[in-house]
Amino acid sequence: MTHLRQWGLLLSLAAGLFLCWPRDGRAQAVETAVTPLLIGYIHDTQAQPVIGATVRALADDDTVLAEIETQADGRFAILLPASIPDTITLQIHRAHFQQSEFPLTTDQITTLHQGQPVSLADIELQRRITPAFWAATLIFVIILALIATNRLHNTLASLVGASVIFAISYLGPLLHEDLFIFNFSGALRYVDWNVIFLIMGMMIVIAVVERTGVFQWAAFMAYRISGGRTWLLLPILMLITGVASAFLDNVTTMLLMTPITIQIALSLGLNPLALLMPEVMASNVVGISTLVGTPTNILIGSYAHISFNDFLVNLTPGVLLSLVGLIIYSEVIYRHDLQASSGGISELLLQRLAERGRITQPGHLKKAGVVGLGMILLFVFGEHVHLLPAVTAVMGATALLVWIKPDIEEMIEAVDWTTLVFFITLFICVGAVQEVGLISFIATGIGQLVGTNLVLAMLAVLWLSALLSTVIANIPFTAAMLPVIGFLTGSIPAAQSKALYYCLSVGSAMGGNGSLIGASANMVTAGIAERAGSSLTYAYFLKKGMPALFITVGLAMIWLLLRFL
Amino acid sequence: MNDQPIHQILCAVRGGPESRETVSYAIDLALETEARLTFFHALDAEFLQYATIGPLSVVYQELMEMGQFTMLILVDRAQRRGVERVDFIVREGNVRKQLRQAAIETKAEVMVLGRPTRSPSRNVFDFTEMEAFSDELAREGNLRLLLVPEG
Repeated sequence: MTHLRQWGLLLSLAAGLFLCWPRDGRAQAVETAVTPLLIGYIHDTQAQPVIGATVRALADDDTVLAEIETQADGRFAILLPASIPDTITLQIHRAHFQQSEFPLTTDQITTLHQGQPVSLADIELQRRITPAFWAATLIFVIILALIATNRLHNTLASLVGASVIFAISYLGPLLHEDLFIFNFSGALRYVDWNVIFLIMGMMIVIAVVERTGVFQWAAFMAYRISGGRTWLLLPILMLITGVASAFLDNVTTMLLMTPITIQIALSLGLNPLALLMPEVMASNVVGISTLVGTPTNILIGSYAHISFNDFLVNLTPGVLLSLVGLIIYSEVIYRHDLQASSGGISELLLQRLAERGRITQPGHLKKAGVVGLGMILLFVFGEHVHLLPAVTAVMGATALLVWIKPDIEEMIEAVDWTTLVFFITLFICVGAVQEVGLISFIATGIGQLVGTNLVLAMLAVLWLSALLSTVIANIPFTAAMLPVIGFLTGSIPAAQSKALYYCLSVGSAMGGNGSLIGASANMVTAGIAERAGSSLTYAYFLKKGMPALFITVGLAMIWLLLRFL
Repeated sequence: MNDQPIHQILCAVRGGPESRETVSYAIDLALETEARLTFFHALDAEFLQYATIGPLSVVYQELMEMGQFTMLILVDRAQRRGVERVDFIVREGNVRKQLRQAAIETKAEVMVLGRPTRSPSRNVFDFTEMEAFSDELAREGNLRLLLVPEG
């Protein structure tokens, strides 16, 4: 038996040695040294690398000498056969771009004859509008409309969009060659897995925290601290909601804060909307102060490599300024409602409210607090060791699950897979319009409008995204705008500070205050309020929310201009 | 009102400021007839399907708690006004179905509801549905439907 093991070990080592041995290494090295090599880089008109372009070296008689595809960085290195013809033409083909051909110069051919590599000048490919362009654009517009009008669930809308895109890509070319958008692996290139894992990790953490009753406790404490003084209760509730939104998802925060807020308001004889509207607006404003506060920040952070610290340093002061403005505005517009409070509350109701406002799982809350603190530290300091936020979130979620040992089935169910599917399919839909060149055309258009003027670009991005977010769901909007902002950041020298990304973050989140459909948090708040007999209508939201949008975005704009100019 | 004695009033409301008139009417009627007053609240959480992220099981529980608390406030209000026999029912599910069930269980003779408004989003029933529901209740038992215009 022992012999058998020894033989097995020896065989394994031998196999390993065989696999690792550089076979024909010497011969290969010699061949590489003398084999002619063409090296180049292909980019589009926005100086973005063109991935997956087919580069062919053709002889006089159109014989293909060698063929290769560009890598993720747009570069290619094409090995030519040892016998070099006197004329070589390089042909570049890529769907959605004009085919490009150009002959190598005599000097380049001579260099290749000498067995030396030739480094080509950067090659720019021009886009072309194909039937696939119109198909992808139409699908994307329909998805946005379906989401905005609630005709289909967000996830279903984007899933349908992705499926139609694939159907057109695979079946369309049977009718017309240019109906191809991208293949499956091409589509997956656009899925940002950092975003998916970060959201998943945070969902598990939230699932633990939400069951502890900490929201209800905090809201009740706000009531206790205010001592029934509604003018004081209002900012305290806004602060609690804001802080919670900075670390948790806005929708979750409002789902948990709204019922207890309504109970407090009704106990005090207050119009619940006088507390709910400022709360949800505070949630939309303060949520963007951290990387993990909103899905849009997660998208922006991952795309532009903006860290947790960067958001804190570059956005939080502006967010606090906006919050102060929002509190003052809320106190003014709801002054009559706040004064109309009856103030009195019966012992029975107070007792019931106190029962509702208690921590139900103190042990879990303590553990979640410790893990949460650890996660914040990793978010803050992890960037020094290139620790991605998604990794921190997954590690934190795992630590919490191991420590608390909850019902794992229940925790897995708490992960909103529907949302994750929404993000994956949304990335594919946005990828499709990016692939066919729509984003590129929009970016070029905006680029021509703002030129290299950073102030103009900041104002355009900030206000355009704020106003569009009142009618377009901000997640797909942000996902679509990121490549545009990427182009503008690359083309405006002073924008290297990533100022435009912060403008997008502020605009897309605070813009949600402009209308009822501007943010998912608004919709769920309205839904719950409706169930308690307080109608939060579209018109009401517009009337109270639109001025708030101008105040908060205006104040944030002042900060951003001071910070980046 | 006809001369038939009323022993049980069922008042179906959401409980917020928009229900104020309906609740006042039901309390007045209970005081006048000395009938038992039962407030009814049904939670239809279908809207949560549009919450892309959310702890739905926790939220359902929260909404039920909210419904109970809202009804408790109404009970408190009725008691302060002098109604001696007052309680509440909170149910989950289809409002119309739950309301019919509650009417049967409580053996109510009168059901007080808010009249549908022009804003469809604020109504559980629209005008046509309300008429159909009223006929349905009248056919099934000795139950009258009283609609109160909201303030």
